[in-house]
Amino acid sequence: MRSPKSAWMWLLEKEWRELLASRAWWVLLLVMGPLVGFAFISSVRSYAEASGLGGTATGVGEAFSPLVGIWAPTFSACELAAVFLLPFVAIRVVAGDRQSGALKLELQHAMPALARIATKALILLVGWVIASVPVVAAIILWRSYGGSIYAPELATVAVGHVINAGLTIAIAAATASIAEHPATAAILTLTATVGTWILNFIAAVQGGTWERLASYTPTTMVSDFQHGLIRLDALIAAVTLTALGLGLASLWLRLGVPVRRRAAESIAATAFALLVITAGTATTQSWDTSESRLNSFSKPDEKALRSIAGSLTIEVHLAPEDPRRVDLDRRVIAKLRRVRPDVNVRYQSATSIGLFEQTSAGYGEIWYDIDGKKAMSRAVTAESVLETIYSLSGVGPEAESGDVFRGHPLMARPAKAAMVFYVLWPALIASAAVAIRN
Amino acid sequence: MTTAPASASSEWIRVEGLTKKYGTVSALSDVAFSIQPGEILGLIGPNGAGKTTLFECLAGVLPPTSGVIFIHGQPVTVRSRTRTLFYLPDAIAPWPSQTVRWVLDFTVGFFGGRRDLVGDVIDGLALSPLLTNTLGALSKGQRKRVLLAIGLLTSQPVLLADEPFDGLDLRQTREIAAILQSHARAGRTLFLSIHQITDAARLCDRFVLLSAGKVCGAGTLDGLSALARSKGGAASNLEEVFLALT
Repeated sequence: MRSPKSAWMWLLEKEWRELLASRAWWVLLLVMGPLVGFAFISSVRSYAEASGLGGTATGVGEAFSPLVGIWAPTFSACELAAVFLLPFVAIRVVAGDRQSGALKLELQHAMPALARIATKALILLVGWVIASVPVVAAIILWRSYGGSIYAPELATVAVGHVINAGLTIAIAAATASIAEHPATAAILTLTATVGTWILNFIAAVQGGTWERLASYTPTTMVSDFQHGLIRLDALIAAVTLTALGLGLASLWLRLGVPVRRRAAESIAATAFALLVITAGTATTQSWDTSESRLNSFSKPDEKALRSIAGSLTIEVHLAPEDPRRVDLDRRVIAKLRRVRPDVNVRYQSATSIGLFEQTSAGYGEIWYDIDGKKAMSRAVTAESVLETIYSLSGVGPEAESGDVFRGHPLMARPAKAAMVFYVLWPALIASAAVAIRN
Repeated sequence: MTTAPASASSEWIRVEGLTKKYGTVSALSDVAFSIQPGEILGLIGPNGAGKTTLFECLAGVLPPTSGVIFIHGQPVTVRSRTRTLFYLPDAIAPWPSQTVRWVLDFTVGFFGGRRDLVGDVIDGLALSPLLTNTLGALSKGQRKRVLLAIGLLTSQPVLLADEPFDGLDLRQTREIAAILQSHARAGRTLFLSIHQITDAARLCDRFVLLSAGKVCGAGTLDGLSALARSKGGAASNLEEVFLALT
């Protein structure tokens, strides 16, 4: 017999063995290679083309950073797997015990349900990290091509995807515990995912509160991480929702507790989580880890903007779907909010697309107000907006120090990548699956 | 076989007023009985009588609508109940991808089971040839033997086993009955749900007769026979007693 170990260690071993026995996990492992490989190979080719390979002008790639050109698309494969494959692995691990009857035996141990579900989540997260090994292969290959790696931004993207996986696992665990059947759990999980997509769509059309809500969906959160941006409020929301999912799973995993009581406890837990998330929205702290300062103005601009006394109000007369507003929001307002969280941005429009407002008087105008001093501009570029703000405030930036990001153009072909992702990885996984099953 | 009637002083576990309703349908109605230490108590009843529901309410798998369970005269919660009772459900196929050997190790390690009994249980239930097989690859009878091994290896003083002979042939039933008796003699209390009355009569010290969610009688065969006769029924064996009282 084995040497004595704690009940939790036994449970951990059991969950690991169950994961190894899960076909869904092996399918996830198998698919991840080609999925990541395709994304990586495509992005390396595009990056090389933009950098001058194949006849385009040398120097075009100067503005390129591996974060946007390589890591965002490569890690997108992980996002795809997290949405469409990981939930099934999680549901199998959580619902399997209920289906087989093992839960009736295991729950006779006094271990708290939260500890059980946390153990499953931990093993699933380990399973996800193993499934992400092809991304590590992509990083090694990129390095072998002579590509630049900026560790903070790469780590941010990786952490973002781990957090997203944790959130997916928590949602799947909750649905698998609440639903009687794994198929129902799968439908509920996908419904939750599609629901966040719908929210993003409504936000794009309606703007306003919807836009604020949509900034906490997994898609938006992952997108921020992929751009090297860590938002504390989104982080709080993601961690809270993950804790809520695991909490709900543990509440519904218990046997012998009346449904009414479990429902009441679930409502209380959800209300508490919403309270935490709402409180978290008040935080404005964020960190831009990108080498290119993708989410920030230049340091002299940031210093100048911080030094402006008085409150800044911007009134934008553009519809939510107007491309100019999208540009303004993404390239200017988002950066401005990071420096001046007190900036008050008001949007004015009669329609969502703005197509029939173009001829309306005042449409397209952007009004700037600093303590009663007003100026109007129609430009949506960062340079123009900053110029308007500086002229209103009488503050200007210091000269650039010269350490401007010039990009890392790389004219390299994705050598050996196809062999690694399309042949070696599937062969390795297939061999491991056969060896372990035997 | 022990035939002594239950007395208040020897009561160890007492169930009072246990009721389980699914909407307006009563699966159990005001069930009351007691369990004495070291005995083999048989829960007898036809299919649909509520035997599994009763076990699941006792084990805390199902929430009863009302009723109280006392251990040593004290009402107990589900959490503290699991220290005394271990419930072995019927018709489950747990951990199908794990080997029998690992499942037995897991039972001892996770549930704090009896490591000293592992060898005897493996021999008694003839599990040696199955140790490297996965549970999912076992036949119904083989799986039942592994489940019994799990139950016997747990350390709770009371084992509730739902249909322990289901899926076993006559020889296996007799062998396993002997093993259960030896565990009872060693101090383990067994509460077995059995729908085969002849098996129950051969093995159990006392009986709880359950029909349509109600206890129709509880006690030794002699006590139940007397009760059956008082109701004008034939009572030469447990089958006749059961038919007379249910």
